[in-house]
Amino acid sequence: MNLDDDLAAWAAAVRLPDADADAIFRRIIATPTGPAVAASPAVTPRLKPSWWRGYNAGFAVRMVASTRLAA
Amino acid sequence: MEPEAEFRRLYEAHRVAVHAYFAGRTGDRQLAADLMQEVFLRAWQHFDQVTGLPEDGRRGWLFTVARNLSIDAARRQRTADGTQRALEADPVVRASGSAAPASTAVLAAERATVVAAAIATLPEQQRVTLSMAAAGDLSSAEIGAALGVPAGTVRYRLSEARRTLAEALGDYDDQQEEQQ
Repeated sequence: MNLDDDLAAWAAAVRLPDADADAIFRRIIATPTGPAVAASPAVTPRLKPSWWRGYNAGFAVRMVASTRLAA
Repeated sequence: MEPEAEFRRLYEAHRVAVHAYFAGRTGDRQLAADLMQEVFLRAWQHFDQVTGLPEDGRRGWLFTVARNLSIDAARRQRTADGTQRALEADPVVRASGSAAPASTAVLAAERATVVAAAIATLPEQQRVTLSMAAAGDLSSAEIGAALGVPAGTVRYRLSEARRTLAEALGDYDDQQEEQQ
């Protein structure tokens, strides 16, 4: 047996079996921090534009009213 | 290409080399697998960044993470010492000096143990380089790019490692002949 054969035998014993490597791959892609999650749009509740118009109008009225001197 | 399929391609292209690197650093196949998983988990978490790189850049990214992880792992435990202690405690190694008759299978296992023990005692740079070449199937240029050293340095380390191993196996063969 020459050195190359010895090294090849050693390498075969060191290498990770394909089944183990596949299990690791599955564990990685099952993590919730992968690109699919990162790329997904953030879901945030949105208010209708009409609500914002009403809110802004009411806010302006209250601001103006607060600057009036008391009678 | 779907992210998962693209990541599978990246994983299959580099997992053997990354594992061989860690096997050389730690001397422990399972610990090497854990560290390899950590490297690819980070690649998965930074998928867009990694896949935006050219092929050489991807390997460079993976081995930069691998080197940083192995430094952290080395701080936590000195696995080379542990491996050496385990080898010394291994009954196969202790039996290697006995003159009991041995079958071909036992002799092969004994020889494999001698090879593993000799590799474990190599200087770390030689051990990592040898592991990446033998178990990772990387060329000198690829190893050099991954480790950030010239290919000539890789070839020198490989040559030194092989010389040391050849001496260790030569001593073992001489012992075997004396016993016969």
